[in-house]
Amino acid sequence: MHSGGNASSLPLVGGAPEPTINQLSKPGRRASRFPKLDVPVTEINNSAIRNDKPSLPEVSEHDLVMHYSRLAHRNFAVDVGFYPLGSCTMKYNPRFADYVAGLNTFANSHPSTPSAFTQGNLEVLHELEKFLIEITGMDNATFQPPAGASGELTGLLIIKKYLEENNLTNKTDIIVPDSAHGTNPASAKMAGFNVVEVSTDVRGMVNIDDLKELVNENTAGLMLTNPNTGGLFEENIMEISNIIHENGGLVYYDGANLNAIVGVCRPGDMGFDIVHSNLHKTFATPHGGGGPGSGPVAVKAFLKEYLPGPIVEKNENSYEWYMPKLSIGRMHGYHGNFLVALRALVYMKLLGKEGLDTLGSYAVLNARYLSSVISKVIPLAYNEPCMHEFVATVKDLKKSHKIKAYDVGKALLDKGFHSPTIYFPLIVEEALMFEPTETQTVDTLDDLAETLKAIIDELQGDDISLEEYPKNLPVGRPNELIPAKHLTVNWGDFELLELTE
Amino acid sequence: MFVPHSEIDLKKMFEELSISSLDDLFTHIPETLKLNDGLNVPPSLSELESISDFENLESKNTQNLICFAGGGHYDVYLPQTVKSLTMRPEFMTSYTPYQAEISQGILQVLFEYQSLICDLTDMELANASLYDGATSVAEAISVAINKTKRDNVVISNGFNPNTKEVVNTLVDRNKFNINYVDLVDYLFPEDYVFSQDDAAFVVSLPHYEGSAQDLTSIVHNAKAAGVITICYADPSMLGILKSPGSMGFDIVVAEGQSMGSPLSFGGPTVGWFATRKELARLVPGRIIGESRDSNNTKTYVMTLRAREQDIRREKASSNICTNQTLNAVGSTIHLSWLGPEGLYEIGYQAIQKASYMKQSLTDNNFNVLNHTSSLREFLVETKKSAEEVILEMGSKGFLAGIKYDDNQILVAVTEKRTKAQIDNYVESLMEVDNA
Repeated sequence: MHSGGNASSLPLVGGAPEPTINQLSKPGRRASRFPKLDVPVTEINNSAIRNDKPSLPEVSEHDLVMHYSRLAHRNFAVDVGFYPLGSCTMKYNPRFADYVAGLNTFANSHPSTPSAFTQGNLEVLHELEKFLIEITGMDNATFQPPAGASGELTGLLIIKKYLEENNLTNKTDIIVPDSAHGTNPASAKMAGFNVVEVSTDVRGMVNIDDLKELVNENTAGLMLTNPNTGGLFEENIMEISNIIHENGGLVYYDGANLNAIVGVCRPGDMGFDIVHSNLHKTFATPHGGGGPGSGPVAVKAFLKEYLPGPIVEKNENSYEWYMPKLSIGRMHGYHGNFLVALRALVYMKLLGKEGLDTLGSYAVLNARYLSSVISKVIPLAYNEPCMHEFVATVKDLKKSHKIKAYDVGKALLDKGFHSPTIYFPLIVEEALMFEPTETQTVDTLDDLAETLKAIIDELQGDDISLEEYPKNLPVGRPNELIPAKHLTVNWGDFELLELTE
Repeated sequence: MFVPHSEIDLKKMFEELSISSLDDLFTHIPETLKLNDGLNVPPSLSELESISDFENLESKNTQNLICFAGGGHYDVYLPQTVKSLTMRPEFMTSYTPYQAEISQGILQVLFEYQSLICDLTDMELANASLYDGATSVAEAISVAINKTKRDNVVISNGFNPNTKEVVNTLVDRNKFNINYVDLVDYLFPEDYVFSQDDAAFVVSLPHYEGSAQDLTSIVHNAKAAGVITICYADPSMLGILKSPGSMGFDIVVAEGQSMGSPLSFGGPTVGWFATRKELARLVPGRIIGESRDSNNTKTYVMTLRAREQDIRREKASSNICTNQTLNAVGSTIHLSWLGPEGLYEIGYQAIQKASYMKQSLTDNNFNVLNHTSSLREFLVETKKSAEEVILEMGSKGFLAGIKYDDNQILVAVTEKRTKAQIDNYVESLMEVDNA
C-alpha cells in the first residue's frame, strides 16, 4: 500500500468535538489591534448609527489560530489524500500559483482602477483567453462568470438574446440529456427556457432517434458534455450538432468534462457554438471547499458581440475594456474571479505545449487503467472505452447483500480515500463514478482498486452492520433525519421547526 | 508537468490495457476530430523560469496606488493571521463537503460563518455564500418574486451601476418590471408609496453615494404592502451601523470582500445572504446545519438539500453549485479576529477620517455634495472631468476614487488611511484640479 488504503494512514484527527468560536469567547479578550486615530474627533450625527457594539466572539489570537488549525485537521483535501470523485476533476493544485496570486497588485488592485493602471491584470485575462480559445477551438471569451453554473446561464442567455435578435422567439426549448448535471436544467429554467430531456441509449450515448423526434422549429439549443457524464465520448457528435444546427438551434458545451479532451480534440471542431470551462477543475485552481471557481465562456466569432462584458481587447500598444455591442449584460459585479483566472494562467504556462498536448491523454490513461482494475471487483455500467471517468454499479450487490453505493463510499472514507461520486448519473442504478485525474500515480490507483476489493469482501461478511461504517473518523454517519425535523443552522437557540413548502 | 508517469509506469499500464501508445486510447474518436499537430501554445516553462515572467507581468500594473476607491470593495486591513489560516491547504484544496465524516472542518467553519452573519445582521438563517454582492442582490430579488408572486421590483437608484447591470441581466425583464427610485438629497424618500404589485424593495446601507439613513419607517411601509424588503449592507460598517434586522428587513445581502478577502481586482470575493426562517425553503445555495452522528456526537452537515439543483434540477431555488466557500472562511476568521471592538473600530475610524477629509476638502474650496449625510464615502465635485482627474491623481500615487459623473468622484476612506495620506491627497487634488 502506497497511499491511502491503510487505516493507520488516516489523515484526519478525531478526539472530542471542537467547540464553536462563540463557545471560546470570553468578555474582554481580543485579537485585533489598530493604530490610534490620528485625526481630530468629530461628533457623528446620523440616524443609522447604532448605540451598542455588534455581537461577535471575543477571542485571543492564539485561541483563534488553534481553533481554525484544529478544524483544518478535521478536513480531507487534495493535499491530504486521493479524491476519485467523478465529474469533479480533483487534480493537484500547483503551489506556485499561490505565490503568483499573492503578488502585490494582482492581489490588491481595486476593481475600479482604470485600465491605464492595470495593464498587467488585463494582460493576464488576454493571455488566458488566448490559451482558452486555442484549447477549446473557439474565437472569443469572457471571464465574467464566477462559476460553472454561471457560465451555463451566460451561455443560455446568449442563445436567448441571439434568437431574439434574429426574430426567432418561438424557439423556447432547450434539450438536455437525462444524464446531465442538475445545473443544466436549473440554468435553462433560470434563463426562461423549457427543458426537454433526451434519453440515453443502451451504449450510454445520446439516443439519436429520440433526439430527432424531439427537435423541431421550437428548438433553441442543446446542452451537452463530451465526453458525457458516463465518461463516454459521444462518437456521433457531428451528427448531433448538425441536427440542432439544421433546425436553427445552437449547441452548448458544458465544460465539466473538458479535462478528458485537452490536446486530443476540441469542442469548437465538433460543432459547439458556446463553451464554458471550469477553471477549478480542468485548469487546477483549488476548489476551496466548494468555491471559488471560475466559469469563463468562449464562443464562435458570430456570438462575440453577445458576450457579457466588459471583455479585454488588445489595441496597438495597450489593453482596454470593451463592452460587446449586443451584450447580454453583466454576470458579475466586476471582472469575475480574477485571481482564479490568474492561477489558471500559471497552470497553463507551466504546462505549455508539452503538458497541454498530453493532458487529456494522461487523464484518460489513468481512468482507463483504473476502470480495468476496478472492473475485476465491481461491474462497469457501460461496456465502452471510458474517457477521463467511468461509472461502475453495485446494483447486483444490493440485491444479494443489501450493499448500496452509499455504503461503499462511506467505507472508503475509513480507508483514507474520498468517496467516488455516488448515485450519478441518475440513470445508472447504484452508481459509483470514478475520476482519478492525471496527477495520481499508478500505485495510488492500484491501492484504490485493492482497497475496494477488501471493502466489498468485508461488507459481504455475516456479522456486518453497514451503518457502522465509517468507524475511524472524527464523526460517524450523520443522522439525516434530525436536520429535516429540527433544523439548527446557527449557534443561537433558534430552531427551524415545522417547515412549510 | 504534474503528471507522475515514469516509463516503468507506462509499460505496466499499457500492458494492462493491451495498448502500445497513448494514441491507442482514442481509436473510437473520429479521425477528423483529432488534433494531429497538437495545440498552438507556447512551450512549457519551469517554475523557476516563470517566476520572472509573472513578476514582470505584475510590474505592468501601476504600483502602490493609495486607495481611496470603494463602491462596495474596500481597502480594509487584512491581517496576516486571517490570510494564512484561510489559505491552509486543508481548507483551500478540499472539495464541497458532501462527505460530512471527512469534512467537519470546513462544515463547522461554514456553520460559524452563517452564525456570525446572523448575529451581525440580526437574521435567523444565512446560506454558505453566493458569488458576490451584485449577484446576491439578484438572488434576493428572485426569492422575493417567488415568495410574493408579484411582478414589480422597487430598487433604490443608490447602487453601484455594475450591481444594477447584474440585476438587469439576471432578472427577466420580459416578465418583471424593475422600478429604479431616485434618491432625494442622497437619501431614499421617506414618503415613498409602495403598491400591492411590488414584490421587492431593495436598498443599500449606506447608499452607493455614501449617505446613510435609518430605514426603519420605509421598511415598515413596504412590509405593510406585503413587499419583501432587502438590505444590501456594507459589512465593514456593520460594527457601527444599526443592524438591518433591527430595521425590520426580511433579507440581508452584502458584498463580503472587506471581511476576509483582498481586493483581488473584484474577485474572488463573497456574497453574503441572510434572511428569516419563513423564507428558508426559497434560499439559494448551500446551507449547513447541525445534526448528530450514529454515536450521538455533534455533526455538521449540508442541509435543506431539496432546494438545490443537483436534487431538484429545473425546480431548484437557484442554479448555484460552486460558490465562494474559501472567501466565506476568510470572512469567518476575519470577523472572529476583529471581535466587537475591532469591527466597531474599523467603522469608527473610517468615518472619523472621512469627516476630517471632507472638512479639509471643503476648507480648500472643493464642494462635497453630501457632506452631512455621508459617512465614510462621499461625492466630490471637480472642475476638470472626473476621468482626467483620476488619471492625473494616479501619476501622483493615488487611486482618487470612482468616477460618479462627468465632474463628480466617489471617494472612500478606510481605517487604513492616515492623516498624512489624506493631507497629501487633498494637496494633490488641488494641484490637479486647479492646473
